[in-house]
Amino acid sequence: MKKYIIKVNGNQYEVEVDEVRDESTSAPQVAAAPSKAPVQAAASAAPAAPKKDTVVPQGAATITAPMPGTILKINVNTGDTVKKGQVLLILEAMKMENEITAPKDGTVASVNVAKGASVSVGDVMVSIS
Amino acid sequence: MATIDKINELHAKKEKVSLGGGPDKIAKQHDSGKMTARERINTLFDENSFVEIDAFVETRSIEFGMQKKKVAGDGVVTGYGTVNGRLVFVSSQDFTVIGGSLGEMHARKITKVMDMAVKMGAPFLSINDSGGARIEEGIDSLSGFGDIFFRNTLASGVIPQISVIMGPCAGGAVYSPAITDFVFMVEKTSQMFITGPQVIKAVTGEDVTFEKLGGAETHNSISGVAHFKSSSEMECIEEIKRLIGFLPDNNLSDAPIGCQCDDANRIPEELNEIIPDGANKPYDMIEIIEKIVDNGDFLEIQKHFAKNIIIGFGRLNGGTVGIVANQPKFMAGVLDVNSSDKAARFIRFCDAFNIPLITLTDVPGYLPGVGQEHNGVIRHGAKLLYSFSEATVPKINVIVRKAYGGAYIAMNSKHLGADMVFAWPTGEIAVMGPDGAANIIFRKEIQSAADPVEARNAKIDEYRNKFSNPYVAAARGYVDDVIEPATTRVRLINALEMLASKRDNRPAKKHGNIPL
Repeated sequence: MKKYIIKVNGNQYEVEVDEVRDESTSAPQVAAAPSKAPVQAAASAAPAAPKKDTVVPQGAATITAPMPGTILKINVNTGDTVKKGQVLLILEAMKMENEITAPKDGTVASVNVAKGASVSVGDVMVSIS
Repeated sequence: MATIDKINELHAKKEKVSLGGGPDKIAKQHDSGKMTARERINTLFDENSFVEIDAFVETRSIEFGMQKKKVAGDGVVTGYGTVNGRLVFVSSQDFTVIGGSLGEMHARKITKVMDMAVKMGAPFLSINDSGGARIEEGIDSLSGFGDIFFRNTLASGVIPQISVIMGPCAGGAVYSPAITDFVFMVEKTSQMFITGPQVIKAVTGEDVTFEKLGGAETHNSISGVAHFKSSSEMECIEEIKRLIGFLPDNNLSDAPIGCQCDDANRIPEELNEIIPDGANKPYDMIEIIEKIVDNGDFLEIQKHFAKNIIIGFGRLNGGTVGIVANQPKFMAGVLDVNSSDKAARFIRFCDAFNIPLITLTDVPGYLPGVGQEHNGVIRHGAKLLYSFSEATVPKINVIVRKAYGGAYIAMNSKHLGADMVFAWPTGEIAVMGPDGAANIIFRKEIQSAADPVEARNAKIDEYRNKFSNPYVAAARGYVDDVIEPATTRVRLINALEMLASKRDNRPAKKHGNIPL
């Protein structure tokens, strides 16, 4: 039995440790120093700026800007199939890169904004059919 | 008549009452995906615990042929029983009897169990499935509605009141659920509206379906009238049971203690890595909440409405806590008209029922915009400040990242009476964000600099280093301690234990005047 004094978050604890001996003694495990998650390789070069649609096809569900802001990135093109919850574009507003996600499964019917564009509340950004 | 015959007569009468509007109408109810009033009660309550009251009550009306439509029970089943062992009073409208319409005696049955619920200090649950006021009974029917609303109001803050919409709930009938604490709806089979699609069409010319006008989706995501939506009645009843498990019986009792099976000293190390390095990167606040509360069990309320703020119940070392948290993942977690409204009502519920409040703050400010100002963001935003200030339950705030300007004050700050304010080292407590602040404070230096862009960036950095941290607020005592994120659960449980004996009073008054 060994006694240790351990400090956790500034509090001191007295701990007694008894070693359990096993036949198959394995090499002592050394806790890995905490490291930051590896930085993801930068996404492949951005595709050429896609053409901006000006109309919303009839019957398509529109995704409108919830806040005034700037379009930072567009992840989809007209005709892409998207799943509910998939990030369609990033809207920078209130100093936050807001992910705008698909409200349902479907096909992108139109992309009505271009990268760098400013949008106001209620502006149609993307439509999904 | 021999005694045995009298007893048999009683059984026959009860048998008839239990069939409501008869087998044909019950089959029709089932065909539309709905349970009957009694089936709902039996599913919700512990087996054989339900005791019916007033099964023999019937209408007194004889107008418009009502004496022929008369059915014992008068279209509503009322009584009491236990839900997971706890006493609950209930009224359940029976759509198979005169369309569940509300007449004088129907209402009197409901008000009787409401009065009992208040007297006994037990939650009251109202299951709505009704065509509305019973036109044949005229003003007596309206009187019945008024009696219910009056009792809903008197019982508010005394016992938890839960409304369950499992069919139509139209016209005046909607105001009883509106006054109660929680409203449950079922997709496709329940609707709430003041005036229906036909009237709307006639008056405004608008075409709208029942579901689009007042279905579960509409009231959960657009209007904020409802708090929960389920895809079936069974799922809805399970949610109700889960909610009741978090609530106390009344305003003088404590919430039931949970299992205490999650280690109070648990240190979720993941919390140290959850805040992204960039201050403008979003993350999911729900993850933080689930790592802190017992067994990751968090019951979110109004999940689909004003998603920029999260409200709900969890447990810490077994005791119920009400959690209010900004959601950076949705609209940057801003405060606006709807999120202020949503949070304020929840804070007042917790305060009324002695449920400690825990706030997790990451808020960039109030949402700018003409629409917000014109919709009264001043008036609605004030509700948040008012309700936090007014609350005397233990109040703990954890500032996890941004806490800027007026929104910092509104989010359960020390200044509004928070008992303990913790900040994570990632906390940024300042009058505004570094960009905006640098532009104002150093306007002249930036303008007169040789390279204004570079000068501006330098000033932003200077401001950030100086003020965008938790230590300036901690130096004033506005933050009680800066803590390592992983220790948040331990520190919260410790603080709640310390605050268990909290006594706090407000000046005697009839009631305050919250900006509504």
